[in-house]
Amino acid sequence: MDTPSYATAPVPVRDDLGAAHVRAWHDLARPGTWWTGEERVAIGSEVRAAATCALCRSRRDALSPYTVTGIHDGPGRLPGAAIDAVHRITSDPARLARPWASGVIAAIGDAPYVELLGVVVTVVATDSFCRAIDVPLHALPAPLPGEPTRARPATARDEGAWVPSIPSGAAGGSEADLYDDLPGPAPNVIRALSLVPDALRTLKDLGGVHYMTTAEMTDLTHGRAIDRAQIELIAGRVSALRECFY
Amino acid sequence: MTGRWVDAAAVTSDAAAATSGVAHAATLLAFADAVVGSDDEALARARAAVLHELGPAALVDAAAVASNFERMVRVADATGIPLDPPLVMLTEPLREELGINRFGAAANTPPASAALRLAGRVVRPVAFPLLRLVQRLRRPR
Repeated sequence: MDTPSYATAPVPVRDDLGAAHVRAWHDLARPGTWWTGEERVAIGSEVRAAATCALCRSRRDALSPYTVTGIHDGPGRLPGAAIDAVHRITSDPARLARPWASGVIAAIGDAPYVELLGVVVTVVATDSFCRAIDVPLHALPAPLPGEPTRARPATARDEGAWVPSIPSGAAGGSEADLYDDLPGPAPNVIRALSLVPDALRTLKDLGGVHYMTTAEMTDLTHGRAIDRAQIELIAGRVSALRECFY
Repeated sequence: MTGRWVDAAAVTSDAAAATSGVAHAATLLAFADAVVGSDDEALARARAAVLHELGPAALVDAAAVASNFERMVRVADATGIPLDPPLVMLTEPLREELGINRFGAAANTPPASAALRLAGRVVRPVAFPLLRLVQRLRRPR
């Protein structure tokens, strides 16, 4: 399997970051909960195709991205609704809308949509990091054989988002152990991917090394080579540029 | 909770960066802008500036944070999660000041109830002093 490495990076990369990216790439290649390893890697390929996709560019330039139709550039090895979801999430996340998401979910299912999103954001984050430190993008891994588990959390329910999530506390039952590392009720952004617990585990694993662990978040003096104020300035700026309200 | 005041306006205003109270704010903001943008030359310049002013470990950390939030904004926007009620309560004036309420995804958060708005007016003045107290109490002696 192609394994991410920063051995030849122009700057030394923390061991914990490198290790987390290796784990993320292993996760990407293996069968997931709803998608096969081959489909998960295909999602990664579409993330990269979105960067130069002419349809995505036209939509970004349009007053409304929902008035522009066409076929996305890319390998096209997934259902059309899934490809569209990958490209839109990658290239124009600020203008995603509930009616659009409902259409995708009707086509592919809510849990497959959540897992697709989990794969998209893993590749987006890793690729963005590589570009930021001037390292070539890691080759996508060779997919691993096997079938998805198709295990749906029994306690997931509508909590006000576009997809169900596992509640915090007693309502989440045994599945709420996903939140055991949190000092209090899990915020919405942590519960967002919980319909596919493994997607949430990958999210937290990467979050701990890219940003900070949930335990560290309550320590407002926490920092590494940059201090907490600098961390939050960057975080806030990226979020504002992407017009992310949350 | 270091007792240092920072101006959050720097997040959306370059003019506020210099007086934000955040060290190397302008350099880090330019780097964040370049990571999100598509101009490779601008990214190269911003990267060099971070390296020069803060060093390689800071570059890696800044890149890690920026890329993390390139990820997290998509998690939030693609799932339509509403803002948590405590944050709605605590951040009402800040969101207005930073112009965040105009973002499209604001529609995913129901308007604050009258009770929540009233609670916010009561809680906000004491929230951060209380947080500082909790931080001090939690620090090992």
